[in-house]
Amino acid sequence: MSLAVDLAPGREPGLRLRNPVMVASGTFGYGTEYAGLVDIQRLGAIVCKGTTLRPRRGNPTPRTAETPAGLLNSIGLQNIGVRALVREKAPIWAKWSVPVLVNIAGESTEEYAEIARILDEAPGVAGIEVNVSCPNVAAGGMTCGVDPVLAAEVTAAVREATTLPVMVKLTPNVTDIVSIAEAVVGAGADALSLVNTFVGMIIDINTKKPLLGAVTGGLSGPAIRPIALRMVYEVAQAVPVPVVGVGGITDTVSALQFLMAGAAAIQVGTATFVDPNTAADIIDGLGDWLEREGISDIREIVGAALPKDA
Amino acid sequence: MIRTDALVLSNTAVAGDIFLLRLRAPEIARDAAPGQFVEVRCGSTLAPLLRRPISIHRIGPRAAGYAPDEIALVIRVIGEGSRLLSRLREGDTLDLLGPLGRGFRLFPGTRRVLLVAGGLGLAPLVALADEAIAHEVNVVLLGGAETACRILPPQYLPPEVEYQVCTEDGSLGACGMVTNLCPPYLEWADQVFVCGPEAMLPPVVDQLRALAQGGRRLPVQVSLEARMACGMGVCLSCVVETRHGLKRVCRDGPVFDLTEVRVW
Repeated sequence: MSLAVDLAPGREPGLRLRNPVMVASGTFGYGTEYAGLVDIQRLGAIVCKGTTLRPRRGNPTPRTAETPAGLLNSIGLQNIGVRALVREKAPIWAKWSVPVLVNIAGESTEEYAEIARILDEAPGVAGIEVNVSCPNVAAGGMTCGVDPVLAAEVTAAVREATTLPVMVKLTPNVTDIVSIAEAVVGAGADALSLVNTFVGMIIDINTKKPLLGAVTGGLSGPAIRPIALRMVYEVAQAVPVPVVGVGGITDTVSALQFLMAGAAAIQVGTATFVDPNTAADIIDGLGDWLEREGISDIREIVGAALPKDA
Repeated sequence: MIRTDALVLSNTAVAGDIFLLRLRAPEIARDAAPGQFVEVRCGSTLAPLLRRPISIHRIGPRAAGYAPDEIALVIRVIGEGSRLLSRLREGDTLDLLGPLGRGFRLFPGTRRVLLVAGGLGLAPLVALADEAIAHEVNVVLLGGAETACRILPPQYLPPEVEYQVCTEDGSLGACGMVTNLCPPYLEWADQVFVCGPEAMLPPVVDQLRALAQGGRRLPVQVSLEARMACGMGVCLSCVVETRHGLKRVCRDGPVFDLTEVRVW
């Protein structure tokens, strides 16, 4: 039985994962934090914390709030910067068998390209996830992800700057995610991941003010799952590249739904905070499910729920 | 640090809306240090979704009257998560992740410690009291709360502890803020440990500043509280400004030297 998938089949050496279960950016640090608790080498891939050219302090606190079946966050891309990442983290990853993708965010197209260039020479980096979807920063982030022209421009610049597999992470905070997806794929993305968080807010009725320090934040967790699933279903029909489904996946059943909606792989995010072993449990669960169903290759079920004439 | 299903041994209403939860959790009891916490899954459904960070109140091997494989937590009912915890019964299990964070550091030469607790900030300080008593250190614990039913009764503390309480409404002990009780003990103590609402820190800092002018610099550790999501140092929700930049309360703390987070 095979769980293996390739997220950059058009590229040599591709982005081959031993299984389709990844952990999402911002929920797994640099991979090392969970190493004592989770057998991280079993994971399909790890996507590290969103990384900028220079270190970032992030947003004021409070930065998170729980909502019904969801988590609202406005961390604001606090991170160590790409040079420290290459110096301190990538050498650790180079010794791992699990592929690590670096999620990158720039304040301009040039900055995205520069980060990609710096990562291109780093051992231990298996690929780049281009974050054109962070809702919690003023410059860059989601502002490029809501405009097909800008999103394509950033994608093309990153594509030009590196030979690494390039996956672009899309924001759901748009009218038509398919048009953004098509533009980004047209600009050379090897794969797409969707979705990032939905912009939301919460008000503290005692202070009569927004609870989060940054006023708004991004909503993740099971609360967003049906919307994320619908978007994956739409995008998977429209683009020829692998789509990675993200948004409220907590268990094998929800992972299977995204695969059947056309996702070649999935990412587990917020659920890791609830149970750090969620991704590992889903890997086991997918294997068991395939065996029960008598299916020998996970790729057979990818897109099983898509319209047959698509 | 592990994830484990702890067995609920007892759940007792000890005062007002405060519950004492005794759990069998052998690995956590073995590994935990005073000041560390566990991330508790309050229910099994998607709401409440996240674990709740809760200080370890007693650590079996050091706590009189506890088995070596036990820990205790103190819960105050505030929201849905703590309400679910308050309803746990003997024989239930509770999904824990821990022990987490950096705890209190009792120095080898210390003979007298002052523990200053605001509200449920008392919880981890009792684990520290147990540790101190095991090292034959004298312990004074000052506990303050809004009102009498928020004060942990003395029978739940080790008998060796000198326990002084105060309430903001004067319904039990002295009337006022717990920090008002500190000054005489600051002359006495070798080390001070503070846990409670952030508002406790400015008066403590003022008192220490006065003390420092007299040439006495007293080492103070403070356990901070912050909104957390992961408890593992990953999500960066719980950051706090320190002398060395932003630090994570969950991983770099929750216990910090006061000089790290406040200048005096």
